[in-house]
Amino acid sequence: MPLIDKHQDNYLEENLITFASLLREEGLPVSTTEMTDAMQALQKIDLFSREDFKNTLQATLVKNYRDRLFFDRLFEYFFASPQQQSRDFEKAVSYKRKYKQSIDQAASEMTFKGERLQLTNAELSQYSSMSQEQRERLKDFMHKTETGVNVEPRFRPLLESVVKSHLRYCRLKSSYEQTNSSRSKVQDEGKAAGGSGAGVGGADAALVEMDIQAIKTADLPEAEQLLQKLSRKLAVQILRRHRTGPRSGPLDLRRSLRDNMRYGGSIFNLKYKPRRRLRQQILLLCDVSASMKQYSTFAIHFLHGLREAVRNLSCFSFSDNLENMTPELKSRPGLKHLLDLVIRRNQAWGGGTNLGFSLQELMEKYPDLLNRKTSIIVVSDTKTISVDYALKELNKLNDRVKRIIWLNPMPKEQWPDYRSIGLIAEVVEMWPCNTINQLEEVLTGRL
Amino acid sequence: MTISLPELKQGFNDAGYICNENTALTVYLSLELKKPLLIEGAPGVGKTEMGKVLASILDTELIRLQCYEGLDETKALYEWNYQRQLLRIQMNRNLEQEQVKEDDLFSAQYLMERPLLKAIQAEERPVLLIDEVDKCDPEFEAFLFEVLSDFQVSIPELGTIRAKNIPVVVLTSNNERELSDGLKRRCLYLYLDFPSVEDEVRIIKAKVPATADLLAWETARIVAQLRQHGDLRKKPSIAETLDWARALVALNRNRLNGKLVSDTLNLVLKTRADQAFFKHEIGTEEIDRILKQGSSGGDISQCR
Repeated sequence: MPLIDKHQDNYLEENLITFASLLREEGLPVSTTEMTDAMQALQKIDLFSREDFKNTLQATLVKNYRDRLFFDRLFEYFFASPQQQSRDFEKAVSYKRKYKQSIDQAASEMTFKGERLQLTNAELSQYSSMSQEQRERLKDFMHKTETGVNVEPRFRPLLESVVKSHLRYCRLKSSYEQTNSSRSKVQDEGKAAGGSGAGVGGADAALVEMDIQAIKTADLPEAEQLLQKLSRKLAVQILRRHRTGPRSGPLDLRRSLRDNMRYGGSIFNLKYKPRRRLRQQILLLCDVSASMKQYSTFAIHFLHGLREAVRNLSCFSFSDNLENMTPELKSRPGLKHLLDLVIRRNQAWGGGTNLGFSLQELMEKYPDLLNRKTSIIVVSDTKTISVDYALKELNKLNDRVKRIIWLNPMPKEQWPDYRSIGLIAEVVEMWPCNTINQLEEVLTGRL
Repeated sequence: MTISLPELKQGFNDAGYICNENTALTVYLSLELKKPLLIEGAPGVGKTEMGKVLASILDTELIRLQCYEGLDETKALYEWNYQRQLLRIQMNRNLEQEQVKEDDLFSAQYLMERPLLKAIQAEERPVLLIDEVDKCDPEFEAFLFEVLSDFQVSIPELGTIRAKNIPVVVLTSNNERELSDGLKRRCLYLYLDFPSVEDEVRIIKAKVPATADLLAWETARIVAQLRQHGDLRKKPSIAETLDWARALVALNRNRLNGKLVSDTLNLVLKTRADQAFFKHEIGTEEIDRILKQGSSGGDISQCR
């Protein structure tokens, strides 16, 4: 059956290419090979069976179980029925109309001495999306400024700047709340779709995609188990003795002679010494300041899982100073006990952060731990006092160790708003890591 | 060797391999497109069994390559028979009129075929099962690319050997490590999850027909409950469910209860920590409660 019908505007290939590009935007590695396979596979099935069509695309385009939930959602949306598409279109048109009205309304309200403030559409949209109470408060502030004593029209840029800052703050706040609520929705959908299997079911798949801070208390045990599973998996990777091949080291003459005795002394099989492998040393630096509280708890869970298998593991918590948690780990406490110990030991748990001072303390007090075998994992949102001092110390530390992997639990879309993130990301490799899935993706193959 | 989708489903059914529509369709597409099939999933969900069942459905030879750390070409592809070559040299040393040429020594008769070469040279399309591919080294995984994309191998002394028949390739992975994108790109992908209670009852009835309906249902239900406990180090696999069902049949039992589960626990939970977890966190009362809840549910008829 020919798939291309040029007489139709909306033929299958075009739709598939758009669908694949949407998958790619989400980070799924859909290559040309996969697309070719999908096209060939579609010729082998009944195209009128929606279920077969979906399963075929899934088998050819999605090569990772973690991506299945996203694929399912995108498929349902993208390949919606004509009725559903028409409903979606009407919704979109109505939304666009309302959006334009709201922008015009906002622009007419944001004035100073009869002149409109120079605000972008995004800022006006932010204003109109605020609650009535918030809008009234802002309007009231503008009115008081406008009617104040000796207020001249040339003060407009100043007011604009204040309004823009306020709108930016509101945008960040609402985007954070939206991220959490949408992730909660994903989790609920996942739970609803969660099959019977006790493997990576829908609920698990949703949990690994959720912002760690948005995980509800009731789901914490489930999330902790997932984290334990992940750390065990990573521990297996670290412990594996990867060999690069039989000729990895220098010639082992003694073994070669002994092995070839059976050939009457003719040397047929050369034996090589295995390449000496450096024992990996991992050092975890965990930010336990107020903004990082829940992430830190998760980092400790993760660490607890790793501890089961990796001997050369050191752990430090930091906020305004550094605390060595390694002795606690060595006594192999249970997880709950470990958490209690860490919180009790670290008096600054939930306080402020001085990264520079903590790093300096690490280099001065524990120089033995810092060498070319050491990989450092830092779990922090980079919010610290005196960024430049922290940067200087981080540069020094980076020169002394094998690598520093910085896991930042702050969503990536918020990174441009923080100067410290940009500066630190220039020195060390930084990865967004606010979901269990991201944690797995970042650390797999990097340790 | 072509097979239609209904024939394949029937084949699975006849072989007692209970699977859903998605699984059957993916396997069918892999056969039709002549692409390797990569199956991922937790241990014991039937990944390896898929290769065996396919060989039996297609009535062809199963060639199995078990992957492990350190596996290299000499164990997977081919190796020269050094002993035989040496013997040939030494035998000819005394026979002056017969000179041994180097080409003679590196001919097919001195080549020891390993699974990959065997699969490529097979006269009839075989099923090549590359089991636990995640356990092999990344270097070997890269080597597999050539075999899986072009179905040919290069032997320096003999040249390139192309497949006489493109084998049906099934790769399995427990997902211990992430496989490379290159390998995944060359395969169709299937994720096998643990079966639903209904499917597991069908599996029990297919593999252990002597199991009473109610016992099969209760066994599947308890195993499903156990699998939902994330604290277990090793979740019970389908094979363990079947072993348990066989044991219960051997004990002439028609129903399960908390005490019986506790007494036969070592057939399902195979680590000391998991058994301790069962005793302390689940207990026989909880099992009795689940069974009581299940018997009032009346879902058993769906599984017949």
